[in-house]
Amino acid sequence: MENASKSPLANEPLLRIEGVSKIYDGHIKAVDQVTLNVASGEIFALLGGSGCGKSTLLRMLAGFETPSQGRIYLGGTDITELPAYQRPINMMFQSYALFPHLSVSDNIAFGLRRDGMAKEAIAERVEAMLKLVQLSQYAKRKPHQLSGGQQQRVALARSIAKQPKLLLLDEPLGALDKKLRVSTQIELVNIIEEVGVTCVLVTHDQEEAMTMATRMAVMSAGSFLQVGSPKAIYQQPNSRQVADFIGSVNIFDGPVKENHTNYVLVQCADALLRVPHSQPCQDGMGVGVAIRPEKMALSRKKPSAKVNHVAGVVVEMAYFGAHTSYHVKLASGKVLQVQVQSHADEDNADLCWGDQVYASWADNAMVLLTQ
Amino acid sequence: MNSTALKWFGRSWMLLVYAFLFLPIFTLVAYSFNDSQLVTVWSHASLRWYKALMHDRDLIAAVMLSLKIAFLSALVSVFFGLFSAFALHRYRRFTGRGLLSSLASTPLVMPDVIVGLSLLLMLVSVQQALGYPERGLFTILLGHALLGTAYATVVVRSRLTEMDSKLEEAAMDLGCRPWQVFTLVTLPLLMPALLSAFLLTFTLSFDDVVLSSFLSGPGYSTMPMVIFSRARLGLNPSINALATVTIVVVSVVVFASTLYSLRQARQRKRDMALAQRE
Amino acid sequence: MATLMQSLKRSTPAWLTGRRLVIGLPYAWFLILAFLPVLIVLKISLSEMQTTAVSGMVSWQGAWPSIKLDVSSYLFLASDELYLATYLSSISYAFYTTVLCLGLGYPFAYFMARAPKHWQALLLMLIMLPFWTSFLLRIYAWKTLLVNNGLINNALLAIGWIDSPIEMLNTPFSLMIGMVYSYLPFMILPLYANLSKLDGRYLEAAADLGCHPFKTFWLITVPLSKAGIVAGCMLVFIPAVGEYVIPELLGGPNTLMIGRVLWDEFFSNNDWPMAGAVTIVMLLLIMLPLAIYNKLQSEGRA
Repeated sequence: MENASKSPLANEPLLRIEGVSKIYDGHIKAVDQVTLNVASGEIFALLGGSGCGKSTLLRMLAGFETPSQGRIYLGGTDITELPAYQRPINMMFQSYALFPHLSVSDNIAFGLRRDGMAKEAIAERVEAMLKLVQLSQYAKRKPHQLSGGQQQRVALARSIAKQPKLLLLDEPLGALDKKLRVSTQIELVNIIEEVGVTCVLVTHDQEEAMTMATRMAVMSAGSFLQVGSPKAIYQQPNSRQVADFIGSVNIFDGPVKENHTNYVLVQCADALLRVPHSQPCQDGMGVGVAIRPEKMALSRKKPSAKVNHVAGVVVEMAYFGAHTSYHVKLASGKVLQVQVQSHADEDNADLCWGDQVYASWADNAMVLLTQ
Repeated sequence: MNSTALKWFGRSWMLLVYAFLFLPIFTLVAYSFNDSQLVTVWSHASLRWYKALMHDRDLIAAVMLSLKIAFLSALVSVFFGLFSAFALHRYRRFTGRGLLSSLASTPLVMPDVIVGLSLLLMLVSVQQALGYPERGLFTILLGHALLGTAYATVVVRSRLTEMDSKLEEAAMDLGCRPWQVFTLVTLPLLMPALLSAFLLTFTLSFDDVVLSSFLSGPGYSTMPMVIFSRARLGLNPSINALATVTIVVVSVVVFASTLYSLRQARQRKRDMALAQRE
Repeated sequence: MATLMQSLKRSTPAWLTGRRLVIGLPYAWFLILAFLPVLIVLKISLSEMQTTAVSGMVSWQGAWPSIKLDVSSYLFLASDELYLATYLSSISYAFYTTVLCLGLGYPFAYFMARAPKHWQALLLMLIMLPFWTSFLLRIYAWKTLLVNNGLINNALLAIGWIDSPIEMLNTPFSLMIGMVYSYLPFMILPLYANLSKLDGRYLEAAADLGCHPFKTFWLITVPLSKAGIVAGCMLVFIPAVGEYVIPELLGGPNTLMIGRVLWDEFFSNNDWPMAGAVTIVMLLLIMLPLAIYNKLQSEGRA
């Protein structure tokens, strides 16, 4: 109601999802009370494992499924009940779903023809789209005469040809092999930014989400665990599940020993940790402390500080070129993952299996997890 | 038994089965060029029975009737088969779905005599009540189309199962109303299946003797009915000639379509390999 | 314009949606042509034969219909041993046909599935080719092969294996030849469809674990192809029970098959209630295999 005095559209995000749920068979909650705003121009990623509800949510945006509860608004208009063919939303399908009986240009023109656009205008637009995805010389080919990467570009061209207000991408790179993916990611983002279309993309690949998205949501069991920029989610995960899902992480468990204004002391099995934080904690409360492997340092010498280091034995090591990964077994039996950059490695050049080492890290490398 | 012996065992087994399957067909063809009145005694080669066939008005009329019924029956079968396959494929839940699925697949195995008799008794009841339909072309057509619909349902349904449902969603996403999705995407993709369903149901109708015998009325004898009544009386060399003609026509069609689809598949494979290399 | 659209909308009844049309059309078709007739046969089998028409079962007495059931056809069916013998022999012919088709067809389908991929399409077409040519003509061809002065007897006489022609036509032997011949493709096709999908790695895994190829066949291949075996057997057995044309052309007057009895009751004796009763009992006999077949059909789609 605060907005009542202003123009209703002034603060209206392009896409507004309000308490949307999808319930199958009366009790299986595929999507559970999801609320989300996506602003114009954003590339928003839904990240999660299989069965987390991300695809169901995307299908509800496209109009292939109707929410059991909640509303969906696009540019302020309620589109919850609108059938897929009337929504100004287009989708790039997983494994593309290119019409096998139509040529590349007919595939791209397909949606335009449904709008009753003039013939010349369609030809012009198709031409422009082909140019955009650099496939002009393939216009007459059938989809099976294209490579995987080319098919992907046709699918993209087809889905943006109608200039939708919202573009949905369902595992856009899932059907490509690893090598092609990285270059395609960048190309895809460039085209999307050139066109300036707002995107919601679904992926199970965290690297894909992080490189492509401006903002993302981590989903599990039908609801959002955390929403934020890729950087925020990586550096400040709000729960064990998120920390675990995004990249690798070491988590120490223990009760809060002392609670201070800017920091808490957490007593873990292997060390006493001094963790800076902003949220209130009670003494004795069980918490987790997450530290990324690349934020740790290894040394044979015992660090001088009283807190924030542990002692252990190197049990595994693997050289990856740019960095070396160590597994360090602590007294409690816990195994720590540590990544050391190669240029910083001179000190540890001779570290070997069975060596006694200390792992240490800065205060701000730690994230306090209360859930 | 080592693997080479097994291989040869397999080959000879297959050869024997093929010989068993093709022996009668080759005999028919060979004896159709026999001049003798006796089907079983070879005198010398001649086209005598083909000439006899050309003047056999009854048989020619029966062939014409059979072609007409087979064509119509195939059309009707493909039409209803398309609907029933689509209903069973698309709508996972509706009251009586199990019954429809069973009803659509039982005519495939149900003995012809049961289908023929029960259909006839029903049509007679209807005729007693409404004065329509007279037994004849229409009633035969109904019987054949019932059988054909069951077969067409299987053919179309298996194609629908193979088809990517995302294609239909993509069409809808790009602005197609449901009926446009069907005519612009589903139907063109089903075309090969519809064509083979048409050929199959045409052949079934052209071949049927039991249903026709139950359902036909005076003056409506299909080709198999004529052949059957002659074969019951004994051996008749002009039937051999007729058989040879049908076998040649069918073989040419089947061979050509198999070769065509093989070549299509190979071309497709080559295209795909080429596209990957670019 | 809006009112026009509304009035157009109103003129099509609300219940007539695309979904209802798509489901309703084939539903009505099959209900009328496949389901209703069975009910009518049941009704007729329970009525009395009058000179030309079948007596009405329901007569109105005041406001209440009185239903007159006449089970005389069934009583006659049960009392006459010839019917029982015919049912039994139909079932045993169908059973032997099924066993022989399986014995011939399984190895065939197995080797076909193991043949080089580019050959398989051709091999499959060769199995289908006889299927596309008239069934009646092929049965008729066996007649010319099996008669006393036919090709087979002549060949055997010529090489001196026999002194006088063997009586083959119009015997159970010729009947079985015709039945196996006609139904073999129906056995081979589902078996091949099943066996060609068998993952070769299972066999390699079994071999790797020290299983002898023959044992692998019994322990891996056969159990995995069970669905194909059952489907093939049902596709052969059920129609074979009611076969009419083959016994009529190759079986001679003495082979007992229920399809012929039904035909004769209807066409020669004009006894509709009796033909109806014979049909209903035959339907009951194939009910169980039919249920198995339908279950397989629906599972195969799931």
